Amino acid sequence: MQKRQKVFVGLSGGVDSSVTAALLLEQGYDVTGVYMKNWSKDLPGMDCPWKQDYQDAKRVAVQLGIPFKMYDFEKQYRSKVVDYMLEEYRAGRTPNPDIMCNQEIKFKLFFETAIADGADLVATGHYAKTRNIHNSSNRNGQLLKAKDDNKDQTYFLYRIREEVLSRTLFPLGEYTKPQVRKLAEKFKLVTASKKESMGICFVGKVGIKDFLLHELGPQQTGEVIDENGKVVGQHDGAIFYTIGQRHGLDVGGGLPYYVTGKDMQKNQVFVTTDLNDSSLWKADIRVQDVHLINGQPKSSDIEVRTRHRAPLVKGRISFQKEDNKASVKLDKDIRALTPGQSVVFYHGSTVVGGGIIY
Amino acid sequence: MKKPVNIYMDYAAATPVDAGVLSKMLPYFSDNFYNPSASYLSAKSVAEDVRSAREKIAKTLAIKPTEIVFTAGGTEANNLSIKGVMSRYPGKKLLISSIEHDSVFAVAANYDHQTIAVKGDGRINTDDLLQKIDDNTVLISIILASNEIGVIQPIAKIAKLLQAVKSDRLKRGNSLPLYLHTDASQAPLYLDLNCNRLGIDLLTLNGGKIYGPKQSGLLVVRTGIEITPLIDGGGQERGLRSGTENVPAIIGLSEALYKAQRKHKQTSKDISELRDYFIRELTKLIPDIEINGSLKHRLANNISIVLPGKDNERLMMELDELGVKCAVGSACSASSDEPSKVLKAIGLSDSQAQSSLRFSLGNTSDKQQIDYVVSGLKTILAKSYI
Repeated sequence: MQKRQKVFVGLSGGVDSSVTAALLLEQGYDVTGVYMKNWSKDLPGMDCPWKQDYQDAKRVAVQLGIPFKMYDFEKQYRSKVVDYMLEEYRAGRTPNPDIMCNQEIKFKLFFETAIADGADLVATGHYAKTRNIHNSSNRNGQLLKAKDDNKDQTYFLYRIREEVLSRTLFPLGEYTKPQVRKLAEKFKLVTASKKESMGICFVGKVGIKDFLLHELGPQQTGEVIDENGKVVGQHDGAIFYTIGQRHGLDVGGGLPYYVTGKDMQKNQVFVTTDLNDSSLWKADIRVQDVHLINGQPKSSDIEVRTRHRAPLVKGRISFQKEDNKASVKLDKDIRALTPGQSVVFYHGSTVVGGGIIY
Repeated sequence: MKKPVNIYMDYAAATPVDAGVLSKMLPYFSDNFYNPSASYLSAKSVAEDVRSAREKIAKTLAIKPTEIVFTAGGTEANNLSIKGVMSRYPGKKLLISSIEHDSVFAVAANYDHQTIAVKGDGRINTDDLLQKIDDNTVLISIILASNEIGVIQPIAKIAKLLQAVKSDRLKRGNSLPLYLHTDASQAPLYLDLNCNRLGIDLLTLNGGKIYGPKQSGLLVVRTGIEITPLIDGGGQERGLRSGTENVPAIIGLSEALYKAQRKHKQTSKDISELRDYFIRELTKLIPDIEINGSLKHRLANNISIVLPGKDNERLMMELDELGVKCAVGSACSASSDEPSKVLKAIGLSDSQAQSSLRFSLGNTSDKQQIDYVVSGLKTILAKSYI
């Protein structure tokens, strides 16, 4: 008889990861649940839910009859995810901490720790799929879109390395969210009726602005300038403004403003009321820090996604391999290309890679 | 469908309100809701009911009605006792035992204080106590019966020792009081609470542990002791606890305390037989089991054990899935809390503390339940990954 493969599942205390563990158990794997303790600090106006999440995760392990562990990654999470995020905001960009967390914590630290602890594979409750392609010498994993287009989370996962993908399972990739809820009820899991947790616990609950205020303190106020160069109001900190975003700027007049740019040195925020303003719409994307899964794609025709769940847009990509950059020429203009955010490249349902807008 | 198993063994955490107690309370929510301080006859009648509830308690505890301050639960009573005394004597010293409830530990942190060591069986080390009392010590707080390990302290004996210290002080011209406070929240169902026999100056009670309502409680303040109130306002409770009296809670507390004390000897006898049976069965099942605290000087309903090498939180959850509710002696530091101060004070290591479970029995407990729990534990411990 073949030895059952050992899978370490990241149990967050939410419904998705709980069902993931249950499915793997049903599929015959030897499953161990692991709670990653990444953040435990209370913030103003918010009690960090980690104790509740930890206990829910443990309770799921009890209900499934599997071993349970906790990995304490709090220090690394602080330095690799939170500090990175704060640094990006200070520089005037809008980072994506979830992508960083997947790259540095879940699919690096957790993966390595689990393998060192005897796991053959890891799994999480992400909505995505993996597939192994075999060539002569090694197994390389591919990342593919989830069955549930509405839930597909590949946007957050494009920075995982192929050798990690080759040992990663995403059982939920084959299910829709309503199906997962039904499965949770079928398995009688304590998390069946739990509300969705919002990515990073502290940012989700507190809101990014309050978090930045807490970590970085009050910011210098500065001018908000419209497309005609006219000062239309004051902002309470340029870091809070995301390029491309509609903002309820407190400048009166009623019309919504869109942020078109920022000058961090001069502490100025540029806005427009004209949604057709050319600075809001672009067909050329410049991308740095490119990460490719299984090397450069054969064809330069790709589809891209510039936000989680945003519609795919066709385009052509060219790589500048020497400095790890790429540029994409889209078939049509799109709005709100925000420096610091990621662009993810797709070939059909396969994730080719992605990079960071600059 | 089969009724799901529901075995409650966490009576030290909370007790259900007794049906008789509840029926006495109910009229005071809507029918006799009047503010006892008001002057019309209906209100005076409520004030009269509060007065007789107070008298009933006074009689039960062998004290005067004016020595009772009603509070919202035991934590407030402990706060009132310690803050109330210590703020009267700025710069003076407080001694507490090393196995107090958090509401004493946390308050003590505000004052110049020392903790009195306990022996391995959880009983106060009286040598350490006497050694730590100095001429500036004004208050000593020792829990009568531990909520965690059930150990009962010889409070009356300690009170006698303090008498000697006080007369020695007086002889030397030191008139600083030396008060003895005891948190008796866990005691009324099983121990005699005659305050004269106990020899205490201040005593905390909590209705929520004796089949009375939660957030009901009182502090006994013996005549002649002056304390500062925590809450100022309309001057209720002789100025020591302002705020409109929580009449249903007072009525409920009075009734629950009366019932508890009336039959505490019989209750103690009955429940301790169950406790001893439980411990015997557990020992048969797990030969290397350790019992926390003295077996002899122990509340009738407390079973606090170490299951070496096991994660207590997981065991608690496993039992919960089988319909059994118990408490973790102290949750694992990996999860929520630091290892229990109480368990560490009796000499347990962190890992032993994190392998501790507490079962506390009550009026629904019987041998059948105990058999179920023991066989459930057997099943759980047979799992290789626990």
